[in-house]
Amino acid sequence: MNGDVFVVIAAFNEGRVIRSSVQPLVDLGYSVIVVDDASSDDTWGALAGLPVYRLRHPINLGQGAALQTGMDFALAKGARFIIHFDADGQHRVDDIPRLLEPLRAGEADVVLGSRFLSASDRARVPARKRVLLKAGVVVNGLLTGLWLTDAHNGMRAFTAAAAAGIDMRENRFAHASEILDQIRRRRLRCVERPTTISYTAYSMAKGQSSLNSIKIVIDLMLRRIFR
Amino acid sequence: MRPVQFVLIVMLLGVLILYFSRLRSGLLDRVVVLALSLVGIAMVVAPDLTTKVANKVGVGRGVDLFFYLAIVGISFAGLVLYSKIRDLDASITQLARAIAAERAYAPPRDDRANDGNSG
Repeated sequence: MNGDVFVVIAAFNEGRVIRSSVQPLVDLGYSVIVVDDASSDDTWGALAGLPVYRLRHPINLGQGAALQTGMDFALAKGARFIIHFDADGQHRVDDIPRLLEPLRAGEADVVLGSRFLSASDRARVPARKRVLLKAGVVVNGLLTGLWLTDAHNGMRAFTAAAAAGIDMRENRFAHASEILDQIRRRRLRCVERPTTISYTAYSMAKGQSSLNSIKIVIDLMLRRIFR
Repeated sequence: MRPVQFVLIVMLLGVLILYFSRLRSGLLDRVVVLALSLVGIAMVVAPDLTTKVANKVGVGRGVDLFFYLAIVGISFAGLVLYSKIRDLDASITQLARAIAAERAYAPPRDDRANDGNSG
């Protein structure tokens, strides 16, 4: 019943956790596409036997490129809805129906996850991370004109039509802001829904460093100049 | 001729010969490179010439004028290169994506899903 909902996961060296991230999605009947971004570990083999689509970039291109590859593939497979989901187990499968609801009701084209919409979710965000994310909110708002409550939340839901209009060119992490920019340009109807993030030691270690945030801003500004 | 002039002219000619023998560039590029090299050699042979030109445009020394122009030129070259690299990046991404899609592993139950959709 969830088969027309395609969950796209970009994975780079997630061999240790990818199987436990994917298994609950499979159990719920979602179609899953894992894009292995040329991992040097056995991310690919870790999924053996699971009924999921597996794509592998021949060279590492970055998370944005991997998500775009997965989205293109999902659309080719006849997806009705596309979900972005992180590989490291920080997202909860229970949040997916909540993200899909506005899409199914025809009230939105894109639904973005936010960890700042409910008090309990908000309390989970570590203080340093909170400052960084709120700074990201301001940067995104200024650069893309879309003012949200969260920045760089990896969980998003798209209708097929909306996904077809998204063309990410920022291969690296700047894609998160680029998506917002395109949502705005294409005048897609966009709402936020609460998502719960599990801050495990693993996902924290893999997360972006503060330095990376500065790089993202520079990437975005260069993008303004070069198409 | 002073020794430095000789060295500079030899270097300029060397670059010119390398350019024409190794790179198969377009006619316009060749003309521009040839013209620039000739201007360069002229500047080496007659240094006073640049100072005269500099004075005409309000710069004191020919060296300074050359310095300003060089900075602008290098910045421009950097931008052109950067934009070319971005284009290359985009092409490589497209290629990699096509390869990934072509070699995709599809689970066995995909057939059933497809039958359902097309039926």
